[in-house]
Amino acid sequence: MTREQTIIAIFVFATEVTTTVVGQLLLKHAMEGSTTFGFTHPRILKLFGTGVLALAISFFLTIGLLQHFDLSFFYPIQGSTVVIITTAAAIFLREKLSFPLMIGSLLISAGIVLVSLS
Amino acid sequence: MDRAPRLFPNPWLLLALEALFVTTSETLLKVGASRTERVAGWEWTGLLSLTSIWIWCAIALVIMSFLCWINVLKYIPLSIAFPLSNVVHVLVPLSCWIFLAEHISLRRWCGIAVVILGLAVVAKPVAKIEEKL
Repeated sequence: MTREQTIIAIFVFATEVTTTVVGQLLLKHAMEGSTTFGFTHPRILKLFGTGVLALAISFFLTIGLLQHFDLSFFYPIQGSTVVIITTAAAIFLREKLSFPLMIGSLLISAGIVLVSLS
Repeated sequence: MDRAPRLFPNPWLLLALEALFVTTSETLLKVGASRTERVAGWEWTGLLSLTSIWIWCAIALVIMSFLCWINVLKYIPLSIAFPLSNVVHVLVPLSCWIFLAEHISLRRWCGIAVVILGLAVVAKPVAKIEEKL
């Protein structure tokens, strides 16, 4: 892989992670809201639609990345989103982060890093 | 944590199904992507892979996993559901090893073991809450 291709891969990967995180947050927000306002509420539909769009972009970028990397190499790196999403859920959705949850998330990320280094 | 109405399957069961669908779809995506011809300028978009039947099977599984996931999100906090859904980081490498004959080094096996430990730490308090309920 050339230097230019590596830079493109990093950019595509960063976009893929960002769209995944944003998509998951929007979906959670929409599905939580649907229990109160109903799924057909315009605001809920807008949140849901934007979340699905973000995840769809992430999906196609994943396929693009898979054409260049082994699945067993790429997929664990993608898993670094676990800490980002857990933190984002605490900040934006005000979910409570317990001590075991934080330790567990860090262990999962550490395992993922270990896998991706090999 | 909200309780799921009886009409819906148990959200924890849905979470397990979601992980299974994701594992299968990722494996099929790799098969489809590997068999797609690379065309300069388009190869990073993944769109050319839509000509592969494996990619469409994977898309069907992604939709099924998505339906499970949105119902999981109704009842389980994202900060718990998402770390637990990372069981796929154990299942996907295992699937690559078994079905795609990809090599998994000792360090990668160690990483998988640490991920399992992390999942156990996250799942333990949740199991206690479920027992009390």
